[in-house]
Amino acid sequence: MASSTVLLVEDNDINRDMLTRRLTRAGLTVMTATDGASALDAMREHQPGVVLMDMTLPVLSGWEATEKAKSDPSVAAIPIIALTAHAMAADRERAMKAGCSDYETKPIDFPALLSKIYLFLGANNT
Amino acid sequence: MIGSILAAKIDFIQVSTLGLRLVPTLSSLTEHCSDELADDLGALVRAIERLSSAVNGGQTNRHDLLNAVAAVKGYSEMLLDSADEALIPVRDQVDEIASALSQTSQTPESLPATSRALDSLTGCSILVVDDLPENLDLMSRLLQKMDCDVITANSGRDALSMLAERPVDIVLLDLVMPDIGGREVLARIKADEQLRALPVIMISGQQDMDHIIDCIQIGADDYLLKPVNSVLLNARIKSGIERKRWHDKEEQYREQLEKREQFIRQTFGRYISDAIVEEILEKPEGLKLGGDLRNVTLMMSDIRRFTTLVEHLPPEQVVLLLNRYLGKMTDIILHHGGTIDEFLGDAVLAAFGAPSESDHHAEQAVNCAIEMQSAMADINAMNADDGLPHLEMAIALNTGEVVAGNIGSERRSKYGFVGHQVNVTSRIEDDALPNEILISEQTLQAIDNDVFEVGDSRTLNAKGMEGLLTVYPVIGVNLNG
Repeated sequence: MASSTVLLVEDNDINRDMLTRRLTRAGLTVMTATDGASALDAMREHQPGVVLMDMTLPVLSGWEATEKAKSDPSVAAIPIIALTAHAMAADRERAMKAGCSDYETKPIDFPALLSKIYLFLGANNT
Repeated sequence: MIGSILAAKIDFIQVSTLGLRLVPTLSSLTEHCSDELADDLGALVRAIERLSSAVNGGQTNRHDLLNAVAAVKGYSEMLLDSADEALIPVRDQVDEIASALSQTSQTPESLPATSRALDSLTGCSILVVDDLPENLDLMSRLLQKMDCDVITANSGRDALSMLAERPVDIVLLDLVMPDIGGREVLARIKADEQLRALPVIMISGQQDMDHIIDCIQIGADDYLLKPVNSVLLNARIKSGIERKRWHDKEEQYREQLEKREQFIRQTFGRYISDAIVEEILEKPEGLKLGGDLRNVTLMMSDIRRFTTLVEHLPPEQVVLLLNRYLGKMTDIILHHGGTIDEFLGDAVLAAFGAPSESDHHAEQAVNCAIEMQSAMADINAMNADDGLPHLEMAIALNTGEVVAGNIGSERRSKYGFVGHQVNVTSRIEDDALPNEILISEQTLQAIDNDVFEVGDSRTLNAKGMEGLLTVYPVIGVNLNG
């Protein structure tokens, strides 16, 4: 039913490149967006299996994009993993409240991120 | 100021120095390795340079610095994952950088909760499973603050029997318990058709992360680390329930669709065989008008002197009589794979071998006719009880090519059969005697003569048709044949 594509939303070019490489090596199909508004467009158009959303984004922040996504029935069911930039509990809580299904703190613990991605992709396919 | 970021866990200046020292070696490696590895090494070099300028620039904000750190760490780990031998000379240094940076990924979940208000979870029922009474007590208190209905179980066994008795919205499941552990409880929930959609949040200590990942793989929805942070607990329960709600909605929608499909099946199934209903539901485009030339065995039956028999009966008695008779015949015909084309008063036109093809349509038809004739005894017994007339049925069978398909206009069409052979069947039917099954020469040739026994042939003068028709009464079936 749902696609196994990961949508990576990250405005920082070098991190976007790094994560794209690592996710691709792990066998995932990765598409990218660089701001919250184009992330929403990509979600609506491509219905990715899971979204990795940096919360500090230009145009439309990750917080706003997540809230918009969760109130749009066409994409509300797509799990969003927040990539929060700060190791602060408040940000993680804020991400969960905004409707994110999970979060990871930068710098990313890649194996943990992968297992979360597989969890959500797997949940979609059962 | 940089030192204060990330609780001073890492000396970024030191990492950046380590990295810069490695840059010339990394760059020289790129000249003697695969393009792919060279590309990865180049990416690490760029990331180190960016980190270094972030560290030394002074103007950079915390976000940029974190991004630079994340990139260096990510590329380093990626390189360490690679088995490329060209990397051996720098492996240790890359590892040093990666491990220096990896300390930042330790993010204990038990960080003090902020002062934000908890969402009320009124009306939400939660099953908490833990073998330690003090944990159950603590969790119950936390949850009651959120207005949940809490039920507790102090063992996996207890939890499973509670779930079998009453529905809950979400389960908080301790991983390590004696007897039936959290993983086993989870596995049983996920293997149970009724419980599968129930969200399960695993609760465990940091040291059991491997088991948690295992649980997530077998279907846990989420996890929380002890000591449990109440704000995270609140958010995760809410998100779990939300997911369940979506799932339930989907389920409801699916049930509605199923009901509608069943309704369609039942409604049409009264008139046409299941095979046609199936074909219509599977490919509605098949409903378009048009047909094929098909070899089929046609059946025509009627009740002899029906009009005279019912002449003096009140209408409701006539309807009872007809429905009893046609109801039974419909069942038998559909059971034998026949398709009913139409009822004309007491007469039935049916066909075997279309729309679903069959190699044995003639034999199916003869068997069906025999069963129909034997069913008349029951019908007549019931009629006698109700004071209704005794009925005698005649059946004609004929095998040949007809046009089978959706015939009619766009507004009103039905699956039916047309062609010369339909008229031939009707002519044979005219000549069939009460309680007789009369079959054409073509049908006789299509059936197994060792199985079916026919009587002496008769010749019919078919008005307006070519020559004479030879027909045979079926007089028995050899069950041992």
